[in-house]
Amino acid sequence: MTYLDYAATGPLLPEAIAAMREAEQKFFANASALHTPGHLAMNKIEETRELLAELINADPEEIIFTSGASESNNTVIRTFEGHEIITSPLEHHSVIEAAKALKGKKKPTLYSYMFANNEIGEFLPLKDIAKKAHENGDFIHSDLTQALGKIPLDVKALDLDYATFSAHKVGGPVGVGALYIRKGAPFKPLIIGGNQEKHRRGTTYNTPGIAGFGAALKYLKDHKTWEIYDTKVRELRDELAKRILAEIPGSSLNTELGREKSLPNILNASFEAAEGESIQLYLDAEGIVVSTGSACASGDIKPSHVLMAKTGDAEVAHSSIRFSFSPDNSMEDVEKVMAKLPGIIDRLQKISTIERKTK
Amino acid sequence: MNEGQDWIYTDIVKDHFMNPRNFLFGDEKKFKCDATGIVGNPICGDQMKMFIKVKDGKIEDIRWKTYGCASAIASTSALSELAKGKTLDDALKISAKDIDDYLGNLPKHKFHCSILGHDALKQAIENYRESA
Repeated sequence: MTYLDYAATGPLLPEAIAAMREAEQKFFANASALHTPGHLAMNKIEETRELLAELINADPEEIIFTSGASESNNTVIRTFEGHEIITSPLEHHSVIEAAKALKGKKKPTLYSYMFANNEIGEFLPLKDIAKKAHENGDFIHSDLTQALGKIPLDVKALDLDYATFSAHKVGGPVGVGALYIRKGAPFKPLIIGGNQEKHRRGTTYNTPGIAGFGAALKYLKDHKTWEIYDTKVRELRDELAKRILAEIPGSSLNTELGREKSLPNILNASFEAAEGESIQLYLDAEGIVVSTGSACASGDIKPSHVLMAKTGDAEVAHSSIRFSFSPDNSMEDVEKVMAKLPGIIDRLQKISTIERKTK
Repeated sequence: MNEGQDWIYTDIVKDHFMNPRNFLFGDEKKFKCDATGIVGNPICGDQMKMFIKVKDGKIEDIRWKTYGCASAIASTSALSELAKGKTLDDALKISAKDIDDYLGNLPKHKFHCSILGHDALKQAIENYRESA
């Protein structure tokens, strides 16, 4: 199988599996308890907290664990219930929908701008927004889910008040995330009814999940994964982009390449007159796994809001495919895609009701 | 959904998606037809066009083109098989449910794809009757 859907999720790192098994067996006790097993469990949790703090240049006390990026995003938005909330059009639905439901007119304003988008990989003007927000006494949150491990991160240099992280995008388990809350920034817990996380999130600590997240974070730190992404992974992504444009008529990129423009692991491309879900499933039948911004794939009637915001063209959005790499991929995977994709696109274009306009 | 299968659609849907029947490959002019019908639009992510050749009140031959998802391709393919050889009146009686039954059921949210193909055929038959 050629797996190119790492931006959606990836396999657990063996290190994470080992850490989770160890935690299940040895650190099963309630981490809030005062007895020795509880204390040992809490130590595992604190190890992960310190690792994340070190990776993003935060204080461990500024980090709480959550059930994932959606909860982290929801928590920040809910803190600003009734306030003006301004988000980029490229945000995840857990930001956009929560903001739509909870925003009001009160000041200060919350800005929510992700560092890099999950569907097209492009960077947002986060520093400019942070500067503008802080000049007016407002606050800024950033969803760093896709950026963690792919690029060096520093929440202080980015001047963020809040930041969201997810474990399963970096080789940790699904169901674990984290939220950075700058010391002194307003905060309202989403889950009330427990003194865990210093009253910032109720519910028994998910020690095995957090231990798995910790093992994944240690892997990032020890391997300096952002350097591997910047070199090897970027090379794969850029090569695929180059070959798609050169070898597939009617193809276009929805991701601007370049170190200053996008994450090195994501490539989004559209194929004129060919529909995304069909492309995805013909590739799937060949053992090549990708994702699409086509409406059909999600069961929705509208195509991806990100592709719509980026291109303004529903046809381009419906015809889009995202390829997302990890260091586990190789040039062989690029070869495999290019051995099958041109034929699939050609066939779909030939049975299409739409005539291909470009050469 | 089809729990327990390794593919999102049934084997019949997959077969019609992988090996669509009666599609018009390439230039439309290659198929000399008596009438066409087109529904949907690429903005919505689905468009289908039917081409029919009629002889003695029957659909002697049929071709189609589609811009759409796997269900759209499979359901149009299935419809073309169902309609071929039928009288125009009988072809008009083919319902979206008939297509869905033939394919062994599409996922619920994909049902609209089979309705589209069916509307395109209906339109082709109406166009044929108006021109005849």
